[in-house]
Amino acid sequence: MMDNKNLRKILIGIAGRWILIFLALEIIFFSIFGTNYFSLRNLQNILLASTTVALLATGETFVIITGGIDLSVGFMVGFSGVICAKVMVTLQAAGASQAVAISSGIIAALLLGLLPGLVNGLLVAKLRVPPFIATFGMLGIAYGFAEIICNNVPIMGLPTSVGSIGHGYLVYWLPGKVFAFLQKPENLTRLELQNLVSIIPNVTVITAIVIGIFAFILARTKFGQHTYAIGGSMDAAERAGINVKRHLIKVYMISSFFASLAGVTYVLRFITGRAPAGSARLLDAVVAVVIGGASLYGGTGTILGTVIGVLIIGALEIGLVNLAIPTYNLYIAVGCILIFAVLVDQFFPGLTRKEE
Amino acid sequence: MFPFGMSRTKKRKALSFIGRNWALLFLILMLMLFSILGKHFFGLRNFSNILLAVTTLLLLASGETFVIISGGIDLSIGFVMGFVCVTSAIIMRDLHAAGFPQAISILAGSSIGILLGLIPGFVNGVLITKLRVPPFIATLGMWGIANGLAWRLCEGFPIAFLPPKARDIGMAYIAYYSPKKGFSLFDRPVLTERADILNLMKIIPLSVLLIAILLVIFAFILSKRKFGQHTYAIGGKVDAAIRAGVNVPWHLIKVYVISSFFAACAGLLLVFKLNMGIHTQYTSSYELFAIAAVVIGGASLMGGKGSIWGTVIGVLLIGTLNNGLMMMGLPIFYRYIAIGCILIVAVLIDQLFPELVYKE
Repeated sequence: MMDNKNLRKILIGIAGRWILIFLALEIIFFSIFGTNYFSLRNLQNILLASTTVALLATGETFVIITGGIDLSVGFMVGFSGVICAKVMVTLQAAGASQAVAISSGIIAALLLGLLPGLVNGLLVAKLRVPPFIATFGMLGIAYGFAEIICNNVPIMGLPTSVGSIGHGYLVYWLPGKVFAFLQKPENLTRLELQNLVSIIPNVTVITAIVIGIFAFILARTKFGQHTYAIGGSMDAAERAGINVKRHLIKVYMISSFFASLAGVTYVLRFITGRAPAGSARLLDAVVAVVIGGASLYGGTGTILGTVIGVLIIGALEIGLVNLAIPTYNLYIAVGCILIFAVLVDQFFPGLTRKEE
Repeated sequence: MFPFGMSRTKKRKALSFIGRNWALLFLILMLMLFSILGKHFFGLRNFSNILLAVTTLLLLASGETFVIISGGIDLSIGFVMGFVCVTSAIIMRDLHAAGFPQAISILAGSSIGILLGLIPGFVNGVLITKLRVPPFIATLGMWGIANGLAWRLCEGFPIAFLPPKARDIGMAYIAYYSPKKGFSLFDRPVLTERADILNLMKIIPLSVLLIAILLVIFAFILSKRKFGQHTYAIGGKVDAAIRAGVNVPWHLIKVYVISSFFAACAGLLLVFKLNMGIHTQYTSSYELFAIAAVVIGGASLMGGKGSIWGTVIGVLLIGTLNNGLMMMGLPIFYRYIAIGCILIVAVLIDQLFPELVYKE
């Protein structure tokens, strides 16, 4: 009797945290079989490579918790990235200083990036278009406009400081000699440069802060509670006095905001604006959210789960590259993990859900 | 009751007709508009080009129609198409290289390709019905798996050196008319003069005829047979369908196999059309366009509504739009905006005028 209870508790513990265990196993596996996988540089590479997916997936988490889906986020990355790059290039050509050009480019991209979300929200909430269709239509529209803005060629010739922000790290440390924040130490010899330890990429810092803020909003504020309530039962939420339509519009704008932020970080990292930039990342983002424990029927999901889902994909991606396994195996693996994740939820509903 | 009762019902009827057939009317309007604005748009050759260009989309969308009517969604079809395309091309190439007669290698490649193409649908169906995975997730997983497998098989390169007969079949027309040699069925007349070759009229591509036959069969199954009725019933209300004695899991498995079957046919069509096995990442935009076509054609993602005929119109609408914008000299990306807008408008018409669309 006692044993049975204990076993059950252990099972509950495992099933509730299976994605975390899966992630740990994955990293251990690649650390053993890969070369230099478990090193500061490589682990930071995983974080960097997951930036876009992490941002998209966090925004998508909000939408999926309300029971909707946002398919437009992938091409929104290109849309806002192209706007960001275009504004920077134009202002620089007009003689504005780099700081002005870069900051106005980022602000313009983030502001205009809210627009598709607003339209999505209006279509879904006010005109009752199914989210799948509304955001799918927006996908086409955003992509078309992005291509028109950049004239079908990647935008190049951005201000030079963009690269130093996007490729910069928070802390530089040369053991025993230099310890600098943000500024890469100058006048280093070749050997010193090789030994220079760069810690935490700027882009990751931005991503982590924003995701942290929204994780707090979702988990601890009224806004978050209402989001879960709407996903659980829209009618009940309405009866409870929540302004469902307004709330849904905000949720789609959050998703759109995250997609534009992903576009901005793309520009910072790759110093170019491309229309199809993040299109392939849409499905990765949805997969990450679902692996993270959210249900497409709405009402469940957390930012922490999503982040773990993102890291599972990112660690796998970098790990396959590390082992020189062709990347197409990533698709097969991710497809299998996705189905597996849902099956775990289906078969152990009592296990994965918390003890009441 | 109403002072203007008669005219009101008439007006209502007219509006209801427009509401139900807006896609068709829009298609006709667009054909007229492009005929006036575009150069060389109106003509047998261009119309035949539009048909040829949409054949793959037509097949994918028809399979998707069954799934969407049943209330599900199949995201895997684009990559199942790529998977079948690559697999059958490899079999044809290898058998041809091993010295088998062309007919045997083509037949073996086609049939094995189609049979293998049914597997993803079966797995989708089992996952969705027996294991209760949401259709979006199950088929998204299959999307990844089929994509990876196809890529692995072709290693990112087109598969060439197929039996030359395959290309002849893919490029065949039902009838040819040359002013010099008159009519001929199936056999392309041998012409030597450049002017004669340019004047050769090619009437109805063979692939279009085969697809039309396939579509008519499945449209018949969907609208007139018990199988179709059950599909609508499941999409309308699963509980009611179960109470009515429909074996829902088994039926849904069949529906997903049908969707996969159409995707496999589309893949095979690509082999014959291009005489190559091709799989690229762009294949993934196909299923989205297919879903768009089905929705424009009047189906609802909630299930229970839609028809093959509507889907055909939706596909033609997208094809005409692509072709027309191209003939007007507009850059290709305007079509994404146009299709996005039409898609949203399609659903809005459904949402805002439900009584117009549904009721008589």
